[in-house]
Parts: sequence; C-alpha cells; structure tokens
Amino acid sequence: MKKKILIANRGEIALRIIRAVQELGHIAVAIYETPDKDALHIRTADEAIWIGDGPRCDYLNIDKVIGVAKKVGVDAIHPGYGFLAENPDFAKACESNGIIFIGPPSDVIQALGDKVTARRIMMEAGIPMVPGTDNLSAGDHGLREAIDFADKYGYPVMLKATAGGGGRGIRRVENEKQLRAELPMARAEAKSAFNNDAVFLEKAVINPKHVEVQVIADKDGNTVHLGSRDCSIQRRNQKLVEIAPSLIQDKALVDLICATAVTAAKASHYVNAGTVEFLVDRDWKFYFMEINTRVQVEHTVTEMVTGIDIVRTQIKVALGKKLSFCQEDVHIRGFAVEMRINAEDPQNNFMPEGGKTVSVYRSPGGYGVRLDGFVYQGFTIPKVYDSLLVKMTVFGFSWNETVDRLLRCLNNFVITGPKTTIPYYVNLVQDPDFKKGDFDTSFIETHSHLINYDDQASEGSKLAHLIAEIHYKGENPYAV
Amino acid sequence: MERIVQGMGITEVLKIMRKADGYYITNTARDMSQSDYKNRILLHTDLLAAPSREEAGYFSLEITGGASVHVDILRKQVDPFLKLELLREKMPKTMFQTLCRGINLFGYRPYPQNVIRFVVKEFAKYVDVWRVFDFMNHVPNMQAVFEEVQAAGKILEPCICFSTGPEHTNEFYVKKVQAILDVTGEEIVLCIKNHGGLGSPKRIGELVDAILQKYPDMVIHYHGHNTDGNDIGRIVSAAMSGAKIVDASDHAFTGYYGPPPILSVIHTLKEYGREAVGINEAAIMETSEVLQPERKYYEYFESQIKGFDPTVQIHKLPGGAMGSSLEQAAKGGFLDKMPEILHKELPKVQIELGNYWSVTPGSQILWTTAVSNVQGGERYGNCSGDLKNLLLGKYGPFPFYPPPDWIYEKAFGPEWKQVLERDGGMEAIEDIDLEKERKALADKLGSIPTEQQLVTYLQHPNDAVNFFRFEEKFGKVYVLPPSILFRRGGFKLGETIAYKDHTGKEHIVEMGPMQENEDGSETNVYLNIDHHQRHFVFENAVAQAGEAKAAKLSKKEIEDLAKAGDVRAPFTANICEISVQEGQEVKAGEKLVVLEAMKMQTPVNSEVDGVVGKIVAKVGDAVQPGDELIKVTPVA
Repeated sequence: MKKKILIANRGEIALRIIRAVQELGHIAVAIYETPDKDALHIRTADEAIWIGDGPRCDYLNIDKVIGVAKKVGVDAIHPGYGFLAENPDFAKACESNGIIFIGPPSDVIQALGDKVTARRIMMEAGIPMVPGTDNLSAGDHGLREAIDFADKYGYPVMLKATAGGGGRGIRRVENEKQLRAELPMARAEAKSAFNNDAVFLEKAVINPKHVEVQVIADKDGNTVHLGSRDCSIQRRNQKLVEIAPSLIQDKALVDLICATAVTAAKASHYVNAGTVEFLVDRDWKFYFMEINTRVQVEHTVTEMVTGIDIVRTQIKVALGKKLSFCQEDVHIRGFAVEMRINAEDPQNNFMPEGGKTVSVYRSPGGYGVRLDGFVYQGFTIPKVYDSLLVKMTVFGFSWNETVDRLLRCLNNFVITGPKTTIPYYVNLVQDPDFKKGDFDTSFIETHSHLINYDDQASEGSKLAHLIAEIHYKGENPYAV
Repeated sequence: MERIVQGMGITEVLKIMRKADGYYITNTARDMSQSDYKNRILLHTDLLAAPSREEAGYFSLEITGGASVHVDILRKQVDPFLKLELLREKMPKTMFQTLCRGINLFGYRPYPQNVIRFVVKEFAKYVDVWRVFDFMNHVPNMQAVFEEVQAAGKILEPCICFSTGPEHTNEFYVKKVQAILDVTGEEIVLCIKNHGGLGSPKRIGELVDAILQKYPDMVIHYHGHNTDGNDIGRIVSAAMSGAKIVDASDHAFTGYYGPPPILSVIHTLKEYGREAVGINEAAIMETSEVLQPERKYYEYFESQIKGFDPTVQIHKLPGGAMGSSLEQAAKGGFLDKMPEILHKELPKVQIELGNYWSVTPGSQILWTTAVSNVQGGERYGNCSGDLKNLLLGKYGPFPFYPPPDWIYEKAFGPEWKQVLERDGGMEAIEDIDLEKERKALADKLGSIPTEQQLVTYLQHPNDAVNFFRFEEKFGKVYVLPPSILFRRGGFKLGETIAYKDHTGKEHIVEMGPMQENEDGSETNVYLNIDHHQRHFVFENAVAQAGEAKAAKLSKKEIEDLAKAGDVRAPFTANICEISVQEGQEVKAGEKLVVLEAMKMQTPVNSEVDGVVGKIVAKVGDAVQPGDELIKVTPVA
C-alpha cells in the first residue's frame, strides 16, 4: 500500500531518502525553509511544504514538523542525519502522534545519546571500553573526580559532553592546569550546544584509527552488520573521507570488531540502522566509542561494497518488515571511498563558501562512480546551512583500482563559482601514505602540505587569462 | 664539400673552411627580427621555420644576442634559454650564433667582470658561435668574453666594427685585427661588422683583400645590412675577395634595414662562379613558404617609414637601431624632423664626437644627442649621463680624436678640465656578490632561482622579475602564435582559439561576451576553456577626476623648482633607480634618481644641500616632464 513519507531534512540526504521512497512506490513529502526555496529536494519530492523562513530553526522545530506531517497525513517520517535525527523528543513526538519514526525507538535514542548511559550499557555487555568516568559531579567535587581519574590513567584525557555527538563537544586535555581551566568552559559549552551541561572524562587514545560498523536490526531483534568503515581521515573531528571496508590487514580483528558491534546493538535493543563507532589504537586494541542512531553521511560506501540499499532497508524495517537478508547473505566485495565535496576553501582554513553561485557543474561518470549531491549549475549555495555539495563515492575491485579511479573522477569533476575541497582531495589521493592505506586520525594534521595546490594553475587556463586580457585591452599590453 | 655542424670545434671548422672552394651562409634571423620587426619575431614563428632551416645547411643560425635577450623577456615573455633549448630540439645540427656587445653583453652599459663571465658561461651551453664586438673597437672591452668563449670550447668570432670616413682606412683596420689576434690567438673567425651597411661593394672588397693580404689564412665572416638596398653588392664583393662566410636571411621576412634575402645572394654568387657550401636551396625556399603566411601578423612592428634608405651612408644609423629610432620619432611626434636629424644633425654629431662606430650603445648616444640637439633648442644643452660617460672615456678611448673642448664645457661646465682630470678614463667595475644577488632574487621569487634565472636577473633585474611573475600568472606563452599574441582590436564573439600548451596538452578557448559590472568599475570577460566556463575580471581604468593632473611646467619652471628642492622629471622617461632614502642627508650634486629614456640613463642630482623628504617616484614608473620625483628640504 502506498505510504506517505515525510523527509524532515534538506540537501543531499533529503534527495537520497526521496529516491528510496519513490523506488518503493511511496509518496515523498519534502519540507523546506525559505533559503532552500530553489533546492532540488523540493523539486524532486512528490509534495513540498514550506515550513518557515528559518534558517535552521524550522527544520529543528518539532511542533512544526509534526504539525505539517499530520496536516498532510503522513505515515512515516525519515529524519536523515543532523537536525532532529538523534533527538529523542522528536522520535517520541512521532510515536505519540501515531507517525512511524524511521529510526530506533525514542528510548534507545535517549539511552545511546547519553554517553554515560551508553557506556554503562556497553560495559555490562562486556564491550571493550576506553577507561572513563560517569558524569562528573557539579562544582569542585566534579573537578576532584576528574583530576583523580586523570592521575590514575594519565594524561592526555578527553573531556566530553555527555549529550554531544558527531565530533562536537570534545576537548583534549594535556595536564591538570588545563583540566582546571577547561572543565567550566566545557560545561558552559555543553549547556549552550546540547542544553545539557553534563560532561565526563575518558582516557585519550593517541592517534587511533576510527573504525565503525554499520548495523541494522528489525523489530524482531534480527541484527546484522554490514561490515566496517574507516573514517580516520578527519579534520577537527569532522570526517572528510570514508572508506569501506576498513583497511586493517588483520581480518580476524575486523571480524571481531563487527561481531562486537552486533553485540552492542543487541545490548541496547537496537532497531533500524545505526553505526557503532570504535577506536583502534596502535597496539590493535579496540574500544567502543558511541552508537550513532541515524543513517550516516558515509552510508554510501557500505552500500557500494555490500549491494544493500540501507535507506530502503530502513524504511522497510520501520514499516514493520523483517530483514530480508541474514548475516550470511552479507558479502563485502571490493573497496569504496566517499569524499565529501564541500563548498569550502581549504587554503583559507576550510572557510565555507556559501552564498556563491555554481557557474559550472560538470560531474564525472563511468564505471564505479556514484554521486549523492543536490546542487546544479546556476544554484546559489545558501549561506545558512552546511557546506556539503556532493558526496562522490567511488568503487573498485581492489584498493589500488579504487584510488586510481578516485583521481580520475576528481580530475574530471569541475565545479566553479564556490571554491571546493576537490583540489585538496586531488593532492590527498596522490599522497603515498593514503595510497598505502596508512592513516589514522592524525592524517590531516601530519599531512599539512596537501593544502599546497594552485587551482588556477593549469597551463591552459593561464594562457586563456592572457587571451582574455588581450581581448579586454584590444592589444597585448605586454608586447607593445 | 662539407657542411659545418654543431659540435665541431674551432680547429676543425677553420680547417674545413680554409679548404673549402666556396662560401658559407649564416642565417641572421635575429638581426632581421631586430632591424625590421623591432625584435618581435616570436619563438612560435622560429619553431615553425626550424625544420627547414635545419635542412638548409647554414654555417649558423643567428638566433639570440643583441637586444633580443632583453626583448625576449620584456616584450615576448619567453625565457631566452628555453628558446634555445626548444630550437635545439628541432635543430640538432645547426650551430646557433649570438651577437654579444663585449663588456656591455646584451645590454647598454658595462657589467662587472664576474657577471660577464657567469653570463657567457651559461649561454655558451647553448650558443656555438660568439660574435663579439665593441662600439669603440676597444679590444680590452671584449677580453673577458673572448676568454670565456674560448674556455667553453666555442667558436669565437671577434669583430672589427666598420664605418666610413677619412680615418677609417684599411691600415687602421688591419692594425685592429692584429690587436685582436694578440689576445685571442689565431683560432678565430674574424667578423667585419658592417652594422650600418656602409661603404660601397668596392670598399668592402678592398678591406677583405687588405686583411687577407696580411693574414692569408684568416676566415672572414662578412656581416652587413641592406639599409641602402645594396648589401648584396657588398656581399658579392666580400665573397669574391675571399670572405668565407656571409650573412643573409629568409626572403619571406626580409625588409629594409636587416639582411638581404639568402636566395638572391646564392643566385648572384653562382653567376660569379661561387658556390654556397652545404646549402640546400629547396629547404631555403620551403622556409619562406612556411613563414610567408605569418608575416602579416607582424605588420604593426614593421618600420614607420617604408623603403630603403640610401641616406644611411650619411647618418650611419645601424640597421638594428633604424626601426626603434623611427618608432621613437613617431611616438615622440617628431617624425617630420627626421630629415633634419638624420641628414644634418646626426652626421655633424658623429664628426664632433670622434667619428666612432655607430652601433649599440654608441649609436644610441649619437641618436639621443642629435635628437636632443634638435628638440632641446640648444646644442649639447642637456647632455645625457651616457654622453657624459662617453666624454669621460668610460666606454674606452676615442679611436681617432677626442671631441672639441666646447662640448666638454657644455657637458661639465667651465671646470670641465678638472672634472676630466678627476673622473676621466675607464674604471674597473667592481665585481658584485653573486650569492647576495641570488638571495635577493630568491626573496623576490619566493623560491630558489635557477642559474639561468639568475643570469637573466643579473642583466635586467626589474624586467627579469616582472617576467618571472608574468610566467607564473600566464604560463609559457610562447606556444601562442602571433595571430593571438599580436591581435589588435580583440577577438570576435564565439571565436574559437586552439593551442597546445607547454606540456603538450591541447586546449580550446571559445570567446564569450565581455560585460561591465553595474558601477562600471570592472569588466568581466567570459571564456569557455576546454568547454568549461570561466570568467576573468579586469579593473577598468578610472579617469582621474578627483586630482587635477599636474599642469605642464616649462623647463625653466622645472629648474627653479629643483633649486627649491622640489625635484621634477625634466623629460619623458622611466625611473630606473632611486638612489636615496627618505630622511637621508644629501649634498648638492648628489644623485637622487636615475632616469632612462631611449635606453640612455641620466641621473637627476640634487640642486641643494638638504634632507630627502617624500619620495613620490617608484622604480619602473613612467614619468612626464614636470612630474614630481622627490622632495628635498634644503638646509640653511
């Protein structure tokens, strides 16, 4: 039966979900704030409803979104990532209004969203953990707990907001003096960012690899993992490049991590798609970090190597279907890499380039290339949202083939108007360490030379610049 | 009969030539470009001609030197070394020849010895035949170059510069040959450098004969210009008298002041029973067939006055300076004064200044003096710095007689004898610290310069840095043909331009519209480059509305202001040096700024004792008479 599914999101992920909804024969309902009035997700959806001038407040307004959903009579809501995706109140509001929330139940989101609760659940399930504290007590008492913990396990330690996520609300602390200084700041920041001033401490794992596992579970508790991903290449805890599967050579270790992820999901009574994140240290020990209770930006790489459409599966599971595959049906084949092509100027501290108009958009094609984007030639990038333009996911049968293909695709990708991360990635995929698969979370920091490129440098366009000047001046001013 | 090929040493070359029954030809493409196209013939064009020129079998291709090294970077934006490398790839057999101005290298004033040696060493890696001259025929001025060329194992071709007049006797020139041989030894090719194309065929024949009488084994290379239309006559006479090498160039580009057509020389001498050794006439024809369609793109650079000029026998301007002199006259608005300057004043100045050889940089001194004498109202009323240096003997001793006392008095005032006593004569130019210069260049470039970049920089510091920055911005533009680089009036909407860049990659550019922005301050030029749209933004020149342009000042007013410490430009020039800093104390007579006009430098000195205040002028600025340069606050 045709269902009406509202996508409570924007940008590329809204389009990604709309595609899955339409492929399943359902009706896709988009919502939008005014700055997104020219956005492609509105045009692609079957219905599009304006919810306010925004920016960023209406997409986050639970009452408005639920109100619109009820008004047009939707059966389900897919929250995408960001905005309301990991807000247990939103999931709860859906539940209490008789709307299916495409994601885990609100109490699961609640439990896993609270880092300290999550740690407790995992600890009980025997999942390896980085040593850490409970929520620190208020005031000087909390500081004492923190100092005692750090003295016991040694610096550096990570000071984390209990309600944080997606790399936000994390500080690395090197010594006691810094701990004393940063603790009140971390509390204040957590309060304003997450409306919850609870913080806790973890021992820092130095330059780990970030390995995560895609899991998916149906309402009957059938829980399957879709293999690993490596997301070590991050800038200030924001992922730039994601790879499936992990390039860790020790197959047994990767299998163990994946099995652990399934145990973790089961321990938290997980339903729908989620990601269990781990840190792997230099001694190949791994530690649970957190479970992301949403579809992730980088889900595409897993889809490419497993052939399983995660968003389609999410919708089916949410609508009450059993998983149509079991663990034995999941096979990992080849390698996939996703690069987030952002409207940012890497040479200017990755400053966003919002507000600019895409004057040329020419994307690569051919075998092994997948694009999840939402911009088009003539589109003006809103200043008020994130800078992701398009995710380029490239698949290859071997790692080397994938890297070769990445370079070819980046070289064939032309976006003018805003500056983008493309030239930076062109350098990155040619880096010897990247080509060897040798990277951890310090990669961007330790490869600062990747920033050295001249995106106007091609001989062809330099010469064209002179031709333009001859044309403008009516003669060659350098030759007279 | 044997062709001379690249890699042969001087001993072998001389042996083959002495044995040869016939003569050899140098294709003076560089001199043709300089004399008839203001040095603008592009590497792109020379590369088109390279395969057939290689097959033509010349003794050498003169393709660098003279003013071309400077013009390469200044107006053609091509690296003079890269040019030679690329031509060598296409022309492995043909010797490359240069024209070197001795102590003045490829410039207009003397360089330090260590610079000369460094520059010659680097160029000698690419250049096989070194024609070296000095406009005063002063052999010591050429010695450092001689030594470096010989040390590099290249073919040395010292010149005797030729001119006419009662002093210019065979006896004088034969003595000069001996003076050269005294420092070079016998393994040289001797050039008779007839840069003006002076004298009759008979006169040239007699000179060749006189030299061969004294030095029967001498291999003589006759170099002339066709300014009067009669150089083939002189070439024939030289060859019949025993010259072994003669200069000419491709007829597709021959004009009025450069070399005559090669084929005409060959055909004429054939009638006289002389064969051109190693020459492939079909390849010479093919070269001109390839070049012919290109000539129209150079029309703008051809001489302002068309036609041969037999009056060169009177004014003696060298062919290499004809085009640029006439261009200056046209730009300066005194083309109508040319008969007076060329036929009356210039010959008079020649005699007054000692009847030396009118060739760079001496020809520029003669020319600017004659122009200034006619234009300035008072003869020798405004002597350039270079003329003063000439009078002081800084370029070398006067070959026949010194200029009369009254000229010295005009130049240096009533105390001229003391000035001459104190400052006269040649002075050794101190070596400069090459490592310091290398570092200075590195600072400017932001990277370590190559040896070749340093060589270019040492010769023309400002222009070299500008060129390096140009290349960074625009790439290697030699790949563009003259139809693009010399396009006038812009391109047509939708016009497509295809080119292959330096790395060999093909590109296609389609011209799009050109639009001003809303307030008219900028213009956007839209192009499709390889099917991607790009636009380039150019700032529109703003008409100076706010500040009223400095009113034109009279010469008297400029002088009066200078006496009050308000130093203005006395004539149209470029600033090539600021010699003082703000806050510096200066004495009257101390150098403040050096101006350059028509390649001649003139210092502007302080008229007062004082302290340097505001410095308005910047190196590289173009200034008009009356423009502010520097303020000096006089001290009481």
